[in-house]
Amino acid sequence: MLRFSCLVFSRGAARRFASSFSSETALPPNLRLPSNLVDPDRLRRPPPPEDSSLPLIRKCDAALPAHLRPVRTWVDTLESKDSEPLGLTELHPDVFAVTPRLDILHAVETWQRNYKRISHANTKVRSEVRGGGRKPWNQKGSGRARHGSIRSPLWRGGGVSHGPRGPKSYYYMLPMKVRVQGLKVALSSKMAQQYLHVVDSLNIPTPDSQYLLELIKSRHWGESVLLVDVSEEFPENILQATENLKTVNLIPAIGLNVHSMLKHEAVILTLDTVRFLEEKLLWHDERYTFLYPLKLPYSDFP
Amino acid sequence: MYKMSVRLLTLRALRGAPGLCRRTPAVTGGFRAAYSAATRDQRSVITESTDEYKFVERLIPPTRIPDPPKHVGVAPSGWIPPAESPPPLPYMIRRSRMHNIPVYSDLTHGNRRLTLVRKVEGDIWALEKDVREYLRQVTGNELPTQVNEVTMTLKVKGHFEQELKDWLASKGF
Repeated sequence: MLRFSCLVFSRGAARRFASSFSSETALPPNLRLPSNLVDPDRLRRPPPPEDSSLPLIRKCDAALPAHLRPVRTWVDTLESKDSEPLGLTELHPDVFAVTPRLDILHAVETWQRNYKRISHANTKVRSEVRGGGRKPWNQKGSGRARHGSIRSPLWRGGGVSHGPRGPKSYYYMLPMKVRVQGLKVALSSKMAQQYLHVVDSLNIPTPDSQYLLELIKSRHWGESVLLVDVSEEFPENILQATENLKTVNLIPAIGLNVHSMLKHEAVILTLDTVRFLEEKLLWHDERYTFLYPLKLPYSDFP
Repeated sequence: MYKMSVRLLTLRALRGAPGLCRRTPAVTGGFRAAYSAATRDQRSVITESTDEYKFVERLIPPTRIPDPPKHVGVAPSGWIPPAESPPPLPYMIRRSRMHNIPVYSDLTHGNRRLTLVRKVEGDIWALEKDVREYLRQVTGNELPTQVNEVTMTLKVKGHFEQELKDWLASKGF
């Protein structure tokens, strides 16, 4: 609705005609729009066209299924703020263009939140509350209701009958293939919504946080950015730049997870990360069921 | 397989290591025992060799499923390879990880028979129409079907696993 309102306002001459012909979508004349209104569709760069002149930096290593085409994206640099894209890269459709299974995403996200949870809520049962061993008064004759102990759940100060009992673990494991599919769906969703960007490497010229923030602002990547690289050692500059930033975070490729991808608006992968992710995630599509745990040796793993 | 190879390794190790399962020759006594002990000491120079490990390595299984060998037409087991190029239909049915057609029959409550077609991509409603048409020709009845657009699966009432597998193989999936 707001996007359409921007388009209508920009076409100044057609405003009068718009109001007379299309009554449902016309804006009221006394509508006030804020000056910093952002239309993400118009700011984002469209996907690369078929006949783009830029070089194809990376092709898919794994064999593609015959009926699918690879996904093409731009490859940027972080070296300078206003640089043109370096080239194009091809992404495997079985990792970056799977069906958007929101139910799998939800399942993996709730699993990530709950499997680590241990709730320490504990209440005392009538047997654990201090006191209450003696019958307070005789069964018959006193005129009061009959009671057996002063700590029964009926009494003030008594035990809780059905309360939380001790540390409780909410641990469970989703099947490995479901978790892998969750990662693929998250990457595909980010790709489809144009929140996924590929970069050649994470080298930046200065360890200045402001440089990174201005770069992200100029390229309209989003409010929060997740930078992913393969190795666990990052360049010094990017480590210093992201140290004091809350919304820009670094993560190694083995630590990539659905919760982090959903939490950050934009996800930036390097070319090495793309190769690593494709290799690891596609292996699950063509592996045998495990005969014995992966800790024991297999001939082609790791 | 793995347990057998571990046992082979341990047996070989035990046989190689002297003094573990042999009694000392002096205890048994006798001239013959002393003579054999002397020759054994000359012979038992411990040599380590890892060449025999290749017999263990060839038993360790791989994790990745290999591609099937190229067959022209039907394989001797009855397996039909997929077509070289995908058929020009609005839907596509991928092969399972063991390179088979993903049609499965199900029996629940003792009497509920279902046939499930999984791994569908593209226009699943066109597939449903074609399946209904084909099964009407085969059986003569209108069979109820259920399309699940989220999981991209198709369920048909009744056991038609073999018919649907042959039909899909003939189409080239």
